[in-house]
Amino acid sequence: MMDRIVNMFHIVANEGHGSVFVVLVIGFFFGAIIAYSRLDKFEKMAGFMIFEDTLVPRMAMTTVALSSVGFYFLVHFGYATFAVKPILLTGLVLGAFLFGIGLVILGKCPSAFFVSVSEGRVDTFVGVLGGMVGGAIFTYLYPLMKVWMGPDLGTPQVFDYFIDHSLLVVLIFSTILLITAYFLPTIEFRDPADFKEKE
Amino acid sequence: MPRQIPWWIGGIAMSLLFYFSFSGFGANRPIGASTGMAYLSTILFGLDAEHYEYTAQIEQSGAWEGVMLIGVLFGGLFTSIFLTKSFHISFIPTLWKKRKNSSVKSRMLWSFIAGFLLVFGARLAGGCNAGHILSGGSQLAVSGIIFAIVALGTGVVMGRFFYKAKECKK
Repeated sequence: MMDRIVNMFHIVANEGHGSVFVVLVIGFFFGAIIAYSRLDKFEKMAGFMIFEDTLVPRMAMTTVALSSVGFYFLVHFGYATFAVKPILLTGLVLGAFLFGIGLVILGKCPSAFFVSVSEGRVDTFVGVLGGMVGGAIFTYLYPLMKVWMGPDLGTPQVFDYFIDHSLLVVLIFSTILLITAYFLPTIEFRDPADFKEKE
Repeated sequence: MPRQIPWWIGGIAMSLLFYFSFSGFGANRPIGASTGMAYLSTILFGLDAEHYEYTAQIEQSGAWEGVMLIGVLFGGLFTSIFLTKSFHISFIPTLWKKRKNSSVKSRMLWSFIAGFLLVFGARLAGGCNAGHILSGGSQLAVSGIIFAIVALGTGVVMGRFFYKAKECKK
């Protein structure tokens, strides 16, 4: 196992997507922003799907709204390239279905797994163990599953359908998200466990 | 220091981090997490790239996300100790107690099942919240939009059946 862990750092050091230090820093801030906005809490992540809290959709919409415009210009001026995931239709829809069930029960997404574990949440640690088994079984069964995960519909982006007006499409998309985020009502589940010292 | 940042500051901070990661100044790739989880599982269970096609297929991206997740662990730990001051050993979330039950055994069992479904489902779909909804949505990827609609729609419907009805305040 140790050699695989060493190899993981070796791959990152040589693959040209930032040094190991840069990747760790990106992860550190990703975890810190998730934790500081409390996005990792069950009350936020499962809470928004059972109408107890609106932090997650508001924050996610703001992120996507600002990032979509930023990404567009970064690519336009040659500072980045789009890396779009393909539509393997059966796998995508069935996977999203299973993911949605898991998300509302565990109340964490894979990004927030380790944030919650680092906060001392034993139930999330058990969720990580479940995730490890899930990842391993998928890896084991992949040769059987890849044959029915398609059809592969490629990697379309919404503005591909509006070639001459791509910037306008991005701006409209971003504006709709920002307005929705702003006007969504503030519903907050205040967890007494978080505010013990103050009360 | 405040114990929590509001949603709009969180959204702005997250998008600035996304710009950095996405551009050539940072990592020249968008952020994702579930490939990293799957990659770590192949390390834990000894499923190496020589014998397992999927490990070989995700090795580059999985290693990047695996290292990033180590950073996430430390970012979360630092924040929960020094900023949110919320670090404590806990077994059941408050809202679970209110809307489901107070049984540790039940929460642990469901957590395991849900963790399994999250990573298995994300791998089947090719991404998770981070890769499909945030990074995919930011690129107006049709795959990300389909994932968001199906996953969140399923979550809302499932939540309605899985949990007790919300109590009215009056």
